[in-house]
Amino acid sequence: MELFEFYRKDRWPHVFCPGCGIGTVMNCFYRAFNELELPLDKTAFIGGIGCSSRIPLYINSDALHTTHGRAIAFATGLRLAKPELKTVVFTGDGDLGAIGGNHFINGCRRNVDMTVICINNNIYGMTGGQASITTPHDYQSTTTPYGNKEYPFDLAEIAVAAGANYVARWTTRHVHELTRSLKAALQKKGFAFVEVVSQCPTNFGRRNKMADPTQMLEWFRQSSVRRDKTKAAEVDHVDLNLAGQITIGEFVDRNRECYEELIGVGKHG
Amino acid sequence: MKPVIDLKLCKACNICVYICPKKCYSKGADLSEIGYFAAVVSAAEKCYNHNRDGKMICELCVLSCPDQAISWHPETEEEKRK
Amino acid sequence: MRIAPGEYFLQGNEACVEGAIAADVRFFAGYPITPSTEIAEGLAHRLTGKDGVFLQMEDEIACISAIIGASWGGVKAMTATSGPGFSLMQEAIGYAAMSETPIVVVNVMRGGPSTGQPTRASQGDVMQTKYGSHGDYQVIAFAPASVQEMFDLTVDAFNYAEKYRVPSFLLSDAEVGHMRGLLTVPEAINVVERKEKGLRRPDEAYDVPDDLVHPFPVFGKGHKTMITGMTHTDKSKIEPEDVKVHQELVKRLSEKILRSRKDINKWELIAPGSKTMIISYGSAALGPKEIAAKDDRIGLLRLKSLWPLPEEPIYEAARQCDQILVCEMNLGMMYWPIKRIALEAGCKRIELLSKVGGEPPTPSEVRHKLREMGAI
Repeated sequence: MELFEFYRKDRWPHVFCPGCGIGTVMNCFYRAFNELELPLDKTAFIGGIGCSSRIPLYINSDALHTTHGRAIAFATGLRLAKPELKTVVFTGDGDLGAIGGNHFINGCRRNVDMTVICINNNIYGMTGGQASITTPHDYQSTTTPYGNKEYPFDLAEIAVAAGANYVARWTTRHVHELTRSLKAALQKKGFAFVEVVSQCPTNFGRRNKMADPTQMLEWFRQSSVRRDKTKAAEVDHVDLNLAGQITIGEFVDRNRECYEELIGVGKHG
Repeated sequence: MKPVIDLKLCKACNICVYICPKKCYSKGADLSEIGYFAAVVSAAEKCYNHNRDGKMICELCVLSCPDQAISWHPETEEEKRK
Repeated sequence: MRIAPGEYFLQGNEACVEGAIAADVRFFAGYPITPSTEIAEGLAHRLTGKDGVFLQMEDEIACISAIIGASWGGVKAMTATSGPGFSLMQEAIGYAAMSETPIVVVNVMRGGPSTGQPTRASQGDVMQTKYGSHGDYQVIAFAPASVQEMFDLTVDAFNYAEKYRVPSFLLSDAEVGHMRGLLTVPEAINVVERKEKGLRRPDEAYDVPDDLVHPFPVFGKGHKTMITGMTHTDKSKIEPEDVKVHQELVKRLSEKILRSRKDINKWELIAPGSKTMIISYGSAALGPKEIAAKDDRIGLLRLKSLWPLPEEPIYEAARQCDQILVCEMNLGMMYWPIKRIALEAGCKRIELLSKVGGEPPTPSEVRHKLREMGAI
């Protein structure tokens, strides 16, 4: 399948700003999906509200563009009602962690088979750059003009604690590793969660002395630390997301029974 | 294989210029049809995939390009000889 | 799986469960809330996984989101809740109206605002049902007044939701939900199936048929369906800035329901042509019904469906009578639209008997009010 068979060519060029990391994730996702040769017509794509949640509308398949934060709840219903469909959720940090935080942790706990891809750009991009739950401590945004006094969430660690079957975090600087993780997540039975730390040069970088997307990619490269190497490092786990370092890698890969198997819904995979 | 930039899609973020380990790309100086100073492939012969008959080695640029503007095209005979 | 035809002695909420099963519900998502919990408990027994999914979600927002998702999977889906949960659901109700998703929401109303009276009946959510979510939209709502109607109108709620691709509501209350009574299950039950989009022509779903309701493109059948809550064209292209597209969409969403009012509306008329008519609905109509049955000076128009507003029967009743008493368990909600229609029909006196606090108006209270009005 060509790139523009997978995506809807008539909707191009897409709405994302120059240098936005969402396009990078779209490339990696297409690559992973294509290499696994999954049937596009038997996959439903669900998004909430926000920049990253627009991705399903560009994919040439069934797409559900839902209300803010509720994508995982919609996907749970769709998946259980039609078990032959694979469900993929595209979401952002605000959509998943703030307004949809409850659905996120309960989605991990319930372990319904779905792949959730969170594009974490540390900011509310579509509304113009307000602080989000992953904005690093002391960074600037339009609602934190004196620096963000709150500490950020670590979405991947939350997913691990809440019981997801597969959890990984990469940045848009690690495209090959990301593609590999997306493939693993798409093949995983149960709740698979991939967080992609992504650049928003327009609304995050510009206010934090990184207006050029390549500056943000360089920042990702320098501050990324593989998870196995961080075990020894002295990191504050609440603040480990961005301010000091970005912990990347596969966080967990386990095989808890998924919900539809437990209640005996239809056939699987 | 050589990389080609689609001028109708490139939004001149220059991520390709930054990410290419072989420095195949450089910043553009000409305004494209859609109003950006699109990046240019200035040294396609330095690319890892050059002269490898379709075998993909690196692909950092294609995967990173946020606007799906970079794609692979076969080289001409003359380009292959370089 | 369906309850066998015959007579049963059941609770209102249990009858609702049987009605949903009879209407072929295949997905239920719920969250515990008094006084609707028996519906979730009942369906947890009946939907075991193989023949349907019961899901207890983390909150009511997730419940309604899950049933909308399930509905796009092509199955009939339902949730049940009460006041506070219903308030949480409002955003998604607007989403279901905008995306034209057939769902059924049972609201066993309790006293509000806020936590209010969890175990007591009220009719305080009737306006919220129609106006709760932002923007212009129309819904279908039924108000049962007996155990039998909890069954019948649940089936109807599913049928009309499927027929018009719209969220449909059963506005029960704690009184009817917990009431025990006789349920007669008929041999044949009319069940409307979803008008699925076929694969014959790719653009078929978007031809506007006469009834303004498009065929439903189920997910996973190669339709490349794109569903969004944003303003979209008939080809589901997002056009949030386009004035004309928005006008056409919002007008069609309203028009498809309003134009079918005669098909949807249901009511019960006792002693039409009486000098004094009582207009009521749900458990508030139980007292008036007793009076209208005995006293030939008093008639009763009991609305079984509230939205879209049954204008024709109200107009007809108002045209023939001298005065109207609207009887409801809130401080006057349906009173205003009924008054508007009655005034148009030339009826000059429209009084309100409102009772809040959790009990339906008793026959003696209604009689007292009628005496004040000089009707008896």
